[in-house]
Amino acid sequence: MMPIWTKSGEKHAVTLLKVQDCHVLKYISKEDSDGKTAKLVVGGKNVSPFHKTEAEMEIFKEAGVPRKQKVTTFKVTDDAIIKPGTPLYAAHFRPGQFVDVTAKTIGKGFQGVMKRWGFKGQPASHGQTKTHRRPGAISTNKASKVYRGKKMPGKMGNIYRTSFGLKVWRVNTKYDIIYVNGSVPGHTNCLVKVKDTKLPTYKDCNKNPPFPTFFADGDEELPEDLYDEEVFQFTDPSVTYA
Amino acid sequence: CRRSDGEPAKFQPPPKPVIVDKQKQREERRFLSPEFIPPRGRTDPLKFYIERKDMIQRRKVFNIPEFYVGSILAVTTADPYADGKTNRFVGICIQRGGKGLGATFVLRNVIEEQGVEICYELYSPRIQEIKVLKLEKRLDDNLMYLRDALPEYSTFDVNMKPVSHLDYEEIPVNKLQVRMKPKPWSKRWERPKYNIKGIKFELPEKKMKEAQKWSQPWLEFDMLREYDTSKIEEKIWREVNKELKK
Repeated sequence: MMPIWTKSGEKHAVTLLKVQDCHVLKYISKEDSDGKTAKLVVGGKNVSPFHKTEAEMEIFKEAGVPRKQKVTTFKVTDDAIIKPGTPLYAAHFRPGQFVDVTAKTIGKGFQGVMKRWGFKGQPASHGQTKTHRRPGAISTNKASKVYRGKKMPGKMGNIYRTSFGLKVWRVNTKYDIIYVNGSVPGHTNCLVKVKDTKLPTYKDCNKNPPFPTFFADGDEELPEDLYDEEVFQFTDPSVTYA
Repeated sequence: CRRSDGEPAKFQPPPKPVIVDKQKQREERRFLSPEFIPPRGRTDPLKFYIERKDMIQRRKVFNIPEFYVGSILAVTTADPYADGKTNRFVGICIQRGGKGLGATFVLRNVIEEQGVEICYELYSPRIQEIKVLKLEKRLDDNLMYLRDALPEYSTFDVNMKPVSHLDYEEIPVNKLQVRMKPKPWSKRWERPKYNIKGIKFELPEKKMKEAQKWSQPWLEFDMLREYDTSKIEEKIWREVNKELKK
């Protein structure tokens, strides 16, 4: 995570996400996915092909792509279908867009009720016998049962969570890095899924994105760094208030 | 004048003057700002490389001088709520923290009998100028104990003239031993974990001995805590110098 400054001198914290060897693996049409939208299967980071069975390696063989560590599906409209085997780059996202980021949270193992659910526990002294971090009562007398989903100790973390509505401040096309506002679930160097926002407030902000995606054919020459309008670039002199 | 054996004295030309050029004699002093050194961890080195590129870019446009903890600096920042839109503060640097773009330094001064500490970010675009009024080092890396010292050790004249420092001279180390206010202090500075050499402790012997109870003599032999930065520093120093000279 890094600081980034706007032209008015305010500081924001930014997370760097690297787009590492992303390829489109498979296209599932509307009827096959038995829903209303078509799906595209996308794979992430490259890993060794030797530790998987032949059946699982089929998808990668058909697309002609080395084995990927993470494979996810994206729901896609019919006009945004991409041929399997095309690489995806960070320039698919432009500064000023808003994005949702999904990842598996840091696993904390088996945790008690105070850390996992934020219960208050019991006082440290004044006669408490062996009860300082326990949940206390778990149900009422009338119910005579414990409801499903009662908050109790258990394994915490290592589940998929999403942070919504994160702004993209900057995109580095040379190293395929997206600078995303705020924090993102997951530990450092973990694999992450980045989608356009589903929030209605930012519906109008994703204007003129590269559609269906950014193809590095050499037609369009992008500068190495793409900045949002409000971002302070280090080539400019210091900020002054007139 | 005749020599002792009676022969005329042979003309001895005067010895040639030996010009000692201190500038060339002294090796170029290698100073790398501490925020360039990446911390120990599992982050991708690419992240540090990209951060360094941004830092070098900022240094090309704005000059960040070399300074240490204990040197006196004058910083002017842009302030939307001040007259003339700029704010000048003079103080002694008591701490340099943070790595990469978020590196900070804390300046302390006593203005009208009120101690003031301001934490500035080195790479913030709001800073207009950083000037080193007096370049010197102290015996410690962290001068937080000045909060519990007598105020005279933290007062510096706001209109102080900059003390000139030649390029090739070594940085002077100020071996000042500071006198403290009576206890209680904000931290127990006599304990060995802070390892402070710049305080003149006027505590009784018994208290000093009691403080040694908290010493951890095995820490300096702990191999897992070792972080040898010499090679990393060399590489980064060469890279930074090459970029800045372009």
